[in-house]
Amino acid sequence: MIPKPRLLIGLDFVTAFLFVVAVVMVFFYAPLEAVMGQVQRVFYFHVSTAWVGMLGFLVAAIAGIVYLTKGEEKWDIVGVAAIEISLVFFFVAIISGSIWARPIWNTWWTWDPRLTTAAIVELIYAAYMMLRQGIEDPDRRARFGAVYAILGFLSVPLTFISIRLLRTIHPVVVGGGNPTAAGGFDMSSKMLQTFFFSLFAFSVLFIDLLWHRIRLGTLAHKVEQLRMKDID
Amino acid sequence: MLFFIYLQQAPAETTKYMIAGYAVIFMIIFLYLVSMYIRFRNMKRAYKMFMDLDTDTE
Repeated sequence: MIPKPRLLIGLDFVTAFLFVVAVVMVFFYAPLEAVMGQVQRVFYFHVSTAWVGMLGFLVAAIAGIVYLTKGEEKWDIVGVAAIEISLVFFFVAIISGSIWARPIWNTWWTWDPRLTTAAIVELIYAAYMMLRQGIEDPDRRARFGAVYAILGFLSVPLTFISIRLLRTIHPVVVGGGNPTAAGGFDMSSKMLQTFFFSLFAFSVLFIDLLWHRIRLGTLAHKVEQLRMKDID
Repeated sequence: MLFFIYLQQAPAETTKYMIAGYAVIFMIIFLYLVSMYIRFRNMKRAYKMFMDLDTDTE
């Protein structure tokens, strides 16, 4: 079994440090928003988790393309790893968004285009994880996973552009200006710094988690091979 | 609700929602990290068990 690489250990420490700095910036550096108050601070991690979600779905789609081109098992492991992490972070984004919405929109949930498409994305990838479990043959499972990850990714840009194209109450904070949105705000320079630092910290967290999850997937693959060998 | 929020002078009192939001964020991420750790530990055990079985049969 391959020991934990030193670079990964270093990345763990860097990630933990960046995460702590992001938390400190959110609570002690970013100013209080004038209208919404404290709940606006949810925004920094809400967007960052959504970003990690979308990034992972993109990585999975790319891994799917590479798997179909090269047929190497490792790309299937990368795809599953990316989707699992993204599912968790996208779920966090949906729940934190719902909590943010309660005092601002006066509701936990509304079938707004952004919320609806985000829920659809989450369900599409949750189905991916469940359907994979039902396929015994590893090659078929990997092929199915690759095609599903590529097709499933079509829902991600739709979610991203939904608030820019459709009439929605979800604010577009960066490059926005939707007059029908509720809860939008102009960011001060300190808010912008906190926002971009959070995005950066979560991107590094994603790389770190992806590496760990790939190691777990590789080990699971080896165990599966040993189990098959023992059955034979 | 939104109308009243915009009418007021001071920011809205939404601290409990902020706390709830971050509690959920930290808790889910923490649970995921724990689940990953447990699965890795179990997989290492399984790997070791199969390797031991292999050496026994040889």
